[in-house]
Amino acid sequence: MSFKIKNHLSLGVVAMLAGLSLGHGAHAAAGPHTLRVPGQMPASRTDEASLWTIMDGAEQVAKASPDRIKDPALTGYVQSLTCRLAPEYCKELRVYVLQRPAFNASAAANGYIELWSGLLLRADSEDELGFVLGHEITHYAENHAIETQRAAKLRSNVKFALSLAVNWTGQAVAANAGSVQAANDSVHTASAIKELLYLGNIAAYLQYSRVNETEADQAGLERASLAGFDPRAAAGVWRKLIDENQASDFPSRRNEPVGSSIFSTHPINSARMLALTKAAQGAVPTTPEQAQERRRAYRRQIRPFLSAWLADDLRRRDYGQTLLVIDRLSSLGEDLGVLNFYRGEALRQRRSDGDLAKARAAYLSASLYGDAPSQAWRNLGDLALRDGNTAMAQSAYMTYLGRAPNAQDRWIIDAAIRAMNTAAGR
Amino acid sequence: MSKSLAVALTMLILSACTTANTRVNKLDLVRPVAGTRVLVVRPSVRLTMLTVAGNREAKGDWSREGADNIAAALSRAISDRDLSPRLFDPNRVVSAQAIQVLKLNQAVGSSILDQEYGLTRLATKQGRFDWSLGEGAQVLGATYDADLALFITCRGTYSSDARKLAMVAMAAMGQALPPGHQTVFASLVDLHTGKVVWFTTALAGFDADIRHPEGADRLAAALIKVAPL
Repeated sequence: MSFKIKNHLSLGVVAMLAGLSLGHGAHAAAGPHTLRVPGQMPASRTDEASLWTIMDGAEQVAKASPDRIKDPALTGYVQSLTCRLAPEYCKELRVYVLQRPAFNASAAANGYIELWSGLLLRADSEDELGFVLGHEITHYAENHAIETQRAAKLRSNVKFALSLAVNWTGQAVAANAGSVQAANDSVHTASAIKELLYLGNIAAYLQYSRVNETEADQAGLERASLAGFDPRAAAGVWRKLIDENQASDFPSRRNEPVGSSIFSTHPINSARMLALTKAAQGAVPTTPEQAQERRRAYRRQIRPFLSAWLADDLRRRDYGQTLLVIDRLSSLGEDLGVLNFYRGEALRQRRSDGDLAKARAAYLSASLYGDAPSQAWRNLGDLALRDGNTAMAQSAYMTYLGRAPNAQDRWIIDAAIRAMNTAAGR
Repeated sequence: MSKSLAVALTMLILSACTTANTRVNKLDLVRPVAGTRVLVVRPSVRLTMLTVAGNREAKGDWSREGADNIAAALSRAISDRDLSPRLFDPNRVVSAQAIQVLKLNQAVGSSILDQEYGLTRLATKQGRFDWSLGEGAQVLGATYDADLALFITCRGTYSSDARKLAMVAMAAMGQALPPGHQTVFASLVDLHTGKVVWFTTALAGFDADIRHPEGADRLAAALIKVAPL
């Protein structure tokens, strides 16, 4: 008897929960390719409005971040690319460039876009950047963030209803991870709270489904083509990331699927690349000269930051990857003083067999170009001194001090030169 | 053991009144004189809705109204003590220096949570509560005309209506479904010295639903009661 009553009750609960879940689902996801109306604001007291509030908070953090690059030329440039790709959303999309060495970009539901310097450093031309921005703008234009949130809610509610139906007498409810976690939080105050407090788990709101990613690829490519970007650049972006993974110093990184670390919000696979290559097939080919000119034009935009971004990239301590990035950048035949210097830095810091000799060669090549940083000579001097070649060390140090008379480490270099003179009896 | 823990936990969550766990800087604890200017920093409130399935769904409107309600309630409570409250929205700050102080306050708050309430203890603290933002905090006092700053952070969940129904239904089946709960952190900083003179964490009671002005008033009263104000 009691079994019967309980059974009815549980069925009632299940029906209620399922009803709620489906009810939510029915209003929920706007179908694919339903584009936002420009200037559209979420209705108050909706889940979308709440998502916007969270993203407004994330935007505040990005805005006040010490990593933010405020250079008007660069920020104006990326903002103008965004407006070219999405004239209809030009007024509502806000792009922030952050000096962070990973390849990443994200568009939030409220229209703020983060573009990391690691991506700008790795893009070969405006065309590649145009595709990435087009991809991100599509996430925004097609409301992917709120779609994802609603889909996740629907899934978990249905799962919960099913778990009740299947296991209604058991401990399923008590063991329900979400609920127990909620209870635990009040016990483990310090650890759980800290995470909730200051991190905010923004990443959770940027995880899109594979379908969303493919949509963003396709629509982003369309957007970029319409705006005059070369659609064949798109597949190249993903190709580069795959190559870079292979070039890593770390076996674990070489073996992991591309995108699982640095670009975790955008898992990449060969199917996506193939689709992009196909989509671009009809495009009018650019001549090699045109392609070269486009690369040069892009380089002019990022040139002032090249040095700082390469120094940042070295801090990741994955020299195989940095060297590949430098090789790519060098293939344009410009900025060879800076690029060879950083090649030398990567080799000098890596110190595998033969690296120091290669580093010396790289610094020497750098020294042939007008844009070589003065530290190239300092490092040449250090390496020569290490090899016991005092004559060469002296001359390199003198050149260094001549080029950087106010160097902070001048006293060290002066002392080294004096020591060499004393040893030589001069 | 786990049963008694569960009971204790349930008691904690179900206790009607707001419970606070406080740390104070005993050396610098002086009740402010009448007229002392207190900067009531707009609380950082992030509330989510606890769904039937135990997920948390962000609620921007609750968070915003919660922040409004707590700020208003604290201002009233502070005025009642003959102090002079000043409302202040940290999101409107443009001065880089002031932003740095606010960020530092977050970092120090995070350390206090770790070291005073967490599992680790800094050997150098020797049980002393002497956290400070340094004299750089004076920039806030000078710019916004205040002697003390009151910071409030609130994180928590409220059960959705469906979850409340499910809780009743599950109770009938002899199963417990935990309700939502809200944790509050409050700190008082002396803007002349930068010292954190008082810090507390509190679990909001069922009578202190900050989504409503009356609930926020109760929460503010509970906090002020344990604050050196």
